[in-house]
Amino acid sequence: MARNTRRIAFAGIMATTAALALAGCSLSASANGPSAGASAGSTVYFGVSSATTGQYAQYGEQFKKAFDLAVEEVNKDGGIDGHPVALKYEDSQSDPKQSVTVAQKFVNDPQISLVFGDYSSAASIPASPIYTAGKLLQYGFNNSNPDFTAKGTQYQWSSAITTSASYTWTADYIKKQGIDSIGVTYLNTADWGIPAFQAFKAEADKIGLKITDAEAIDPTSDDYRPSLTKAVAGNPKAFAHVGYGPDAAKLVTQLRAIGFTGTFYGGQDEQSFDGTPDAAGSVIGTEFVSTSKAPEVQAFVKAFKKKYPDEKEVTLFEAGAYDALHVAVAAAKKGGTDRAGILKGFQQITDVPSVVYGKLSFDKETRRPASPQLTPTVLKDGAWVAIEG
Amino acid sequence: MLDTLIAGLLRGNVYALGAVGISLVFGVMNVVNFAQFSFFGLGAMLAWFFVVQLQQPFWIALPLVLAICALLGLVINVAVVRPLAKYLPLAAMLSTYAVAQILDNGSQLAFSAQFRSFPQVLPTSNLHIGNMRFGTSDLVMLGITAVVMIAMSLFLKYGRAGRAIRATAQDQEAALQMGIPVGSVQNVSFVIASGLGGLAGIFFSLYIGVVNPVSGLNIGMTAFVAAALGGLGSLVGAVVGGFVLGILEAFGIYWFGDAARQIIVFVVLLVVLIVRPGGLLGKVPLLSTEPLTGTFLGKGRPLRIPRWVWIAAFVVLGVLVPILADTYVLTTGTQVLVYAIIAAGFTVTAGQAGVLALGQAGPIAIGAYLSALLSVHLHLSFWLALPIAGIGAAVIASVLASPIWGVKGHYISIATLGLGIAIVALIQLIVPQGIYGIPVPSIAGVDLNTPLAYYLIDFVVLALTLLVMWRIRRSHLGKVISSVGSDEVAALASGVRVRDYKALAFAISAFFAGIGGSLLAHQYTYIDTTMFTMLMSLLVVTIVILGGVGLPYGAVVGSIVLIGAMELLRFTPEWRIIVYGLVLILVVRFRPGGVLVRNS
Repeated sequence: MARNTRRIAFAGIMATTAALALAGCSLSASANGPSAGASAGSTVYFGVSSATTGQYAQYGEQFKKAFDLAVEEVNKDGGIDGHPVALKYEDSQSDPKQSVTVAQKFVNDPQISLVFGDYSSAASIPASPIYTAGKLLQYGFNNSNPDFTAKGTQYQWSSAITTSASYTWTADYIKKQGIDSIGVTYLNTADWGIPAFQAFKAEADKIGLKITDAEAIDPTSDDYRPSLTKAVAGNPKAFAHVGYGPDAAKLVTQLRAIGFTGTFYGGQDEQSFDGTPDAAGSVIGTEFVSTSKAPEVQAFVKAFKKKYPDEKEVTLFEAGAYDALHVAVAAAKKGGTDRAGILKGFQQITDVPSVVYGKLSFDKETRRPASPQLTPTVLKDGAWVAIEG
Repeated sequence: MLDTLIAGLLRGNVYALGAVGISLVFGVMNVVNFAQFSFFGLGAMLAWFFVVQLQQPFWIALPLVLAICALLGLVINVAVVRPLAKYLPLAAMLSTYAVAQILDNGSQLAFSAQFRSFPQVLPTSNLHIGNMRFGTSDLVMLGITAVVMIAMSLFLKYGRAGRAIRATAQDQEAALQMGIPVGSVQNVSFVIASGLGGLAGIFFSLYIGVVNPVSGLNIGMTAFVAAALGGLGSLVGAVVGGFVLGILEAFGIYWFGDAARQIIVFVVLLVVLIVRPGGLLGKVPLLSTEPLTGTFLGKGRPLRIPRWVWIAAFVVLGVLVPILADTYVLTTGTQVLVYAIIAAGFTVTAGQAGVLALGQAGPIAIGAYLSALLSVHLHLSFWLALPIAGIGAAVIASVLASPIWGVKGHYISIATLGLGIAIVALIQLIVPQGIYGIPVPSIAGVDLNTPLAYYLIDFVVLALTLLVMWRIRRSHLGKVISSVGSDEVAALASGVRVRDYKALAFAISAFFAGIGGSLLAHQYTYIDTTMFTMLMSLLVVTIVILGGVGLPYGAVVGSIVLIGAMELLRFTPEWRIIVYGLVLILVVRFRPGGVLVRNS
């Protein structure tokens, strides 16, 4: 048997050596992605890496609707200097195991000159090295984890406000309402909830907003009552939740069920939260309010509801994706439709018309929106409205 | 205190309903039914559909939902589970996992993946004891559970069909010989269990207020633990287990925080299983039948593979693929290879020692984190971090798993499932943030970070893994471990220390899981705990079962099929998971012992 083992081991070493030799020096990534480019009149393709199945499929659906609307509009207006735009979707389930293969697939596809996604940072960040090696711009338009861009390269861009920025704002806003003590829950997730809470806490400590108790909650849990009883035991004036819509919907219902009546700072413009009776009166800061009177917002909301008559609500998810496509088109117009051109375009564009920000410019260093503004909004009758004054 | 107790009672109520269904099916079929979890989500979505979309009164929707779930349960049993349970309970279990995937994604196609707010049917906060508010809704739920449970126990005690169910659960073969139509009994049990699953789903959504098609998974897992806690197969035990777990969980969360919830559940389960190995009300199995151990000779034997196939496979995977394939195929290939390494290492536990451990994500995560932390903070080279990750995973996982080897039968699977989840929760407590910038492998300062380089590294590690596994199987040690899996009692009678060898097999598997985790970490360059899910553990088990539980090289085939198929099915995005489930069922149907195993 030992003879056999040796023989197999020998064969293994030989085969590997042969393969290494044949493969030459291509073991080290020297960014030899295929040169992408579009000849005159040909279609410009963008890739979308998102979840169409699995636990995040809800967001994949919302993105797709907004993307399709934006593509339709762009092509009606003559595309990118005569080139029509089209999207190629790949399902990653926002699972890193699949988002890396999707990334490689897009990098290899010479037609693709930019990729949107992925939805979650845990899927986007593992794919980043592949996009960087392929010199393909990865536009994680909704990745609010600061490290997506901070730890990324010049190929990672995002038009989302970072969680640290938005939760610093939240702490300031709460304090400004004359509230001096607050109970907090936050999602116990490494890529989102924990860094967001740390930003909130740092700001709260700085401005003298007392956190009576902060409870980490597991996003897969459903019953938060034991945590909530503890979180409100110190009689805070108000309550803040660092998390998303569906978990906030459960949370606010249970918070009211245990008899807490202070203002709830949390939630998200999203169907389940908006439809939860106990969520009424919740306050959040947001970049996008569908009830805003700004003409570009009204035009977008109208066009969206016309194309999708069944959709009752238009949220930041749709608006963000809609904006992202227009930003990509603006960059392609400025710098060119191939991969290098798009990157150049992103570095140059300023004041792109945006339904989220009014006008969007990137900070060239952080590759995030420059000085983004948040609007305080309150949930009334199932819709978020800006708080005046 | 009172608040927490009430919260615990209410959640225990839902667990109890779910646990009864799981226990019932397990009792009469000896199959762990993963599809049961899907009925929670499905029941909830159907109820939402009838009440919100079709504007039907809740009291009409309720029986409709129960009827639909019950009917679906019947179809699943007749079409999928029963034909397979005859061959191998394990194959049936795998197929219920496939059915669960189909149900979840079918429900998502029908109702979309959106979270929906569930209508308030009855007041939910009109009453209170102290600060804790609750509503008529909660009382009605408790009442319905009580009525259902009393009706069930009367039916099982006095009804003809009920008595047949009990007889079948006690001894299937004896029941058959006494003229009990076991087939119909199993159908009835499935119908009842599915209906109860739907009911639990509705209650769950009434209580929580928000639902989407996959929201049943988590509650299903906990209900499963509750069933084990009470004693699988014991219906009273399931109810007791549900309430005990609900209340202990509520107090645990109050004292230690929700972040520790999964650890609390696992510790409760472990303590109960150590004190009472058969669950709270279950019988301690004298002669345990583990899900993977068949009769003395097993149900099939491996296909004979001529030597040239080995050489050909080696040349194709090691030489032709790296030369000919494009980087997309290579990137997919790296994922296939890493999972093949993990799964091949797992065959010694699953195949030889006969322990169906369901928590491999735990050791994978340990390996990934160890390797990442060592190379990021101590600047250790990848080549050193890789073996340390393996050894570390083996040592840490073995220490944490040491109390569970006295547990018997299916309980050991459940204990390892809990262990896997608890390990990941523990890592989350120790390292709350993700780890960035994990260095890629390099030689002499040259980074090996192309898909081809990753592929070749993984390929060499896989070849070594298979070599080691092959040597272990042929060694005296391997034979002893196999004896534990083939017939535990005979092994024990021959003086083999069964517990120790199970632990050793698990340590070997954990070593390769740790290696796999390290490889993944250095290729992704970023890790956080959301990557190491229960689905990852199930994937490893599925790969091993598909390839043939005892065959390390079968794991390679299983990995190619299961991970490759997900990529091949990209042409049909919405139906991808459903087709995947169907493929899985078909493979299991025609190759119940695994692709590389011939029926004897």
